Formats: sequence, C-alpha cells, structure tokens
Amino acid sequence: MAGGAPWGRGVSAEPGTAPPLPAAPPAAPAETAIGWIASTDHKRTAAKIGAASLVFFIASGVLALVMRTELAHPGLQFISDQTYNELFSMHGSGMIYLFLTPAALALGLYFVPLQIGAAEIALPRLALFGFWTYLCGGLTMYAGFFTNNGAGSDGWTAAVPLSNSAFTPGIGMDMWVIGAALAVLGSLLIGVTILLTLFRLRAPGMTMLRLPVFSWSMVVTTFMVVGSFPVLVVTMGLLLYERHVGGIFSGSGGAIAFQHLFWFYGHPVVYVMFFPFVGAVAEVVATFSRRRFFGYKALVLSLLVFTALSMAVWAHHMFTTGGVQNQYFSLTSHLLAVPAGIEYLDLIATMIGGTILLRTPMLFALGFILQFLIGGLTGIVVASPPIDYHVHDTFFVVGHFHYTLFAGSLFGLLAGVHYWFPKATGAMLREGLGKLSFWLLVLGANVTFFPMFFLGFDGMQRRVPDYAPRLGDLNLLSSIGAGVIALGILVFLINVVVSLRRRVLAGDDPWQGQTLEWATSSPPPRHNFQRPLPPIDSHAPLLDRRLAEEPA
Amino acid sequence: MKSGAAFAAFWGLLLVILGTGLAVWSGELGVGLLLAQGGLGALALALLQARRPPQSRPRLLPSLSLPTVVLALGLAAAALGLTAGLWLVLIGAEVALFALVWLAREIAAERRLR
Repeated sequence: MAGGAPWGRGVSAEPGTAPPLPAAPPAAPAETAIGWIASTDHKRTAAKIGAASLVFFIASGVLALVMRTELAHPGLQFISDQTYNELFSMHGSGMIYLFLTPAALALGLYFVPLQIGAAEIALPRLALFGFWTYLCGGLTMYAGFFTNNGAGSDGWTAAVPLSNSAFTPGIGMDMWVIGAALAVLGSLLIGVTILLTLFRLRAPGMTMLRLPVFSWSMVVTTFMVVGSFPVLVVTMGLLLYERHVGGIFSGSGGAIAFQHLFWFYGHPVVYVMFFPFVGAVAEVVATFSRRRFFGYKALVLSLLVFTALSMAVWAHHMFTTGGVQNQYFSLTSHLLAVPAGIEYLDLIATMIGGTILLRTPMLFALGFILQFLIGGLTGIVVASPPIDYHVHDTFFVVGHFHYTLFAGSLFGLLAGVHYWFPKATGAMLREGLGKLSFWLLVLGANVTFFPMFFLGFDGMQRRVPDYAPRLGDLNLLSSIGAGVIALGILVFLINVVVSLRRRVLAGDDPWQGQTLEWATSSPPPRHNFQRPLPPIDSHAPLLDRRLAEEPA
Repeated sequence: MKSGAAFAAFWGLLLVILGTGLAVWSGELGVGLLLAQGGLGALALALLQARRPPQSRPRLLPSLSLPTVVLALGLAAAALGLTAGLWLVLIGAEVALFALVWLAREIAAERRLR
C-alpha cells in the first residue's frame, strides 16, 4: 500500500465506450472494519451517513414520544420542566442537524454520481472527512445528556440571550454549540463534494439540461448548502465565544443580529431538507406513471428561482421581533408559491395520462405531494405578518413545520428509500410491509399534526410541558397519533431487516427506471459502471433507449 | 452553457439582486450583504467552470483514507476541548497534526503513481 492507501483508478464512463478501467491494484479490503471506516467510495460514505442519520432519527423520535406522553394529559408532569426543555431541544436538533439534512445529502452522495454517469465523486476524502465531522458533532450534542446540567435546552435555534451562559450555564449547552457547528460543517463539506461532482464529473453527453430531475434538485440544494451553512458554523463559533467571554451578542441589537445569522441558515436548511425529496418524488412519479417527466425545463427554472428566493425569506421567522423589514420578507415568502406551483403542476401533469402503478414508492410520493401541500398552504398563513403575530410560537407553527418536514420531507425520503433500496442493496423491500407502514404513517402523521393547527389557534404555546385543561382532548389525540407513527416506523424497520435477511433479488432495473443508475448492477460496483453507458440524449436516457427498442 | 457556469452564475446573481433589493428596501446594508454573500459560492463555481472546464480523464483515487478519518477525529476532539479544557485541545491538535502529515504522505504517494 502506498502511504497506507490502496489505489483505484476511477474514470467517468463514456456512452457507448468500453467500461471504466478496473481498480488497480485490487480494491480496498471492503468487508473489513477499516474498509467501512475509511472507505472513500461515495456509496459507502453515503451508507454510513444514512446509517448514522437513522440512529439519530430513532433517538430523536424517542425523545418526541416522551414529550407527547408528557403532553397527553394536562397536569401529568412526570418529567421536570428542565428535562422537557432538553427533550424538545434535542428532538428538534437531532431531526434537523443530524437526521433530515444529512439523510438528504446522503441520498445525493449515493445517487448523483450514478445518475450522471460518473465513476466517483469529486474530492472523496472531503466527503469522508465530512461524515466523520458530522458524526462527531452528533455524538457531542447527544453526550450533553451525560453532563451535570444536561443537554442543550434552548431549542434547536439557541436564541440569544437565552443561550448565553447566564441563562443556560453548563458544559451541556457548550457541547450542543460545538456539536451543531461540527455537524453542520460536516454537512457543508458533503454538499461541496456533491456540487463539484455535478459540475466537474458528468459523463460526456450529460449536459446540464440532461441532468435527471433528482440531480438538478441536488444542484440547487447544494447551492443553498454552500451559501448558508458557513454562516451557521461561524455563528456557533461566535455563540461559544459569547458564552465564555461575551461582548458579541450581548449589546444592543445583539439578539436580533444573532437571529439574522441563525435564520440565514435556519430557513434555507428547511429547503435543504425539502428539495432533494422533491427530486426523488419526481423520479418516482415519472417512473411509476410510465411517462417522461412533464415540463422539465420549467422545473429547472423553478428550482433555481425557488431556491434563490428561499434564501431571501429567513426573517419571516422574526416578524414579531419588530426588528426586520416585514414587507420585504412577507413578499418574498409569498412569492415562493409561484415556483412551488410550477413544481406541483409538473408533478401532477406527469401523472395525467400515465399508467400509474401504485407501488410503495409511488404511495409515499403521493403522500408527500398531498401532505406537503398542507404544510405549504399553512406556510402562506404564517408568511402573513398579521396572522403570524397571532400564531407565532404556538402549536400552529409546530403543526405547519411538521407537515412540511414529517408529512412532507420524510414521506419524500421514504419514497426515495423504497425506490432506490433495490439498487443500493440488490434486494426488494416487501410490498405488503411497505404499504402497511405507509398507511400507518399517513394515519399517524395526520392524527398527530392536524390537531396542532386548532391547538395553536386556541393559544397553546409551543415548548411548554403543561397547558390549560380545555386543550386536553386534542392533545391526547395528538399523542395517540405519535404512537401510530412509531408503529409505522417500526414496520418500516422490520421491512428493511426482513428484506435484507430473506432477499428477493431485484435485478438491475426492477422498476423500469429512466435514469442511468438503473443501467448498472444492483448494487453498483466500486466504480459504478462496468458496462458501456447508453447514449445520453435527454434527462431520461433509459426511457429513450426503451422507446427506441420498441417496435414501431 | 454546457459546463453549467451560466446556471451557477444565474443563481448567484439572483442572490446579489435580492440582497441589493433588501438593502435598499430596509435601509440596512448588513442584512443585504448577508443575503448577497450567499451567492458568492455559486459565482465562484461559475468562474471555475468558465476558466477551467472539466476534463474527462482518468483520475487516480484512493480506496481507503485512514488519515482523513484520524484528522476529523483530531479536529473534533480539539473543538470539544474548547469547553472540556486545554488538555483536550492539545491532544486533538496533536492527533490532527499527525493525521495531516500522514495525509500529506498519502497524497504524495498518490502523485508518484500518476
């Protein structure tokens, strides 16, 4: 081994040419522990991120279940107020910093090179470094539970002055700050590798306007990552300095300045947790409608405009501070409805006239489309300052963002996972268990989160462990729904385990996919393609080939 | 267009325009700059694409990179040391330094094989 690193020769495969050169000398000892820990294969790095994010998802989900149990009945109070603070803080932090964002990027890290016909990613060491930084960050955040003062307890937003050392003393909060910085830094580096891969390593013939829809969604997602994530890393550094030395956010206007910096990351990250799943859902909808994606160029334009606009709406979280230009941020927030409408039109138009197959990935895609709509429409409500003044920091907002992130993004993620699982593992997920988990999650999500709109309008504040007895029934309903969600997730996990232990072989292209990842073996080899690529004349080269082979 | 520079430039310029609009509308230069700088990464990428279009040639790649992992662990330990104490900062920094040297040797070996 030269310098401790076995080398492989990665090349971008060219259409119609011989396959890429095999690894020389022989590839890494893939199945050893070191092979997993230090592998620079983008698929392995993505799998590691996926596994870590799943663990953080389960941990953060358990915290939510404890919270919903506490809220099931007014006056229950089986945990202390401080513990409740830690629970909602670590639940939100875990889900956003440690689960959905990394999971979205993992999906891109795995499938973007396959979709664009690349043998590898740009800067594979950077992606590996990003994974370990993210993992260390997540573990650091969670390790706060083992300190004297407990874990971070100021919400996932760590608003100043609440998060300074006077109001939240202790090493646990410091660890939260450092952990958040590390986790976001890791995500940033992973995003950079995906972006550079998309721009530098496309196979010949794969022009930007031939990128598959999912890859385009990753282009705009990583634009946002590169544009906004560095700000959070710097802000967490400043917050740590503020906690130990002071003088950064403690002066006049310091709290508003912190919120500007935080939300400049905090709002775009919501879209980082959204657009990759729009892309995944678009692939699923096209494949299971047996049609080419409708309005491709309009979608590309809408993605570019949507993401740029979504960088310019952050201060709608700050309407009630009185310290921001509400009109500007309300206008940009409302404008988001235009590109969002184009995307919805494209998704629906793709299905119209198609032969729709209601397999599990398609069900999750439809769940995403319908439920995210509720999240989007209630987003218009809170984008209006007069209404936002009424519902700010209430359960209405909690319901809104859970419809976007859980009923929307998580369903999109599960659509992608069910769709690409056969490609990544070579095994099919069970349809029966998949559909059971889908319906349990639909039931659970709506029973949990829909009552929150009414609770919020009735004045139930978020982030409090107790409430007025008149709000008890809807809270109980919401807590029951959380249990159903847990059951749905459990069925999904059982499905994964059963499908991996008793394999039903998938073959290379079980869904009749349209993009290049379906032109290679399942799972793909180390350098992704061992056969010549098909000609790339559009964003759906396999569909083109299939149509060309059909008798006239 | 083929290199994608135009798309990256378009996106970056959109942010600059939105940031300028915000600065003018709100009268706050700071928030406008905050928004406009978000497009710098995309603009830099556009510049890179325009000046150095990607070349489709074989790349020699590592299959494993243990020093990369050690570097990440060292830096994370050093960061945690900011609250745990100077001792951890020093240990983390030492580990990171060791990993950097290891990584440099790995990259040098990679170049020799080219």
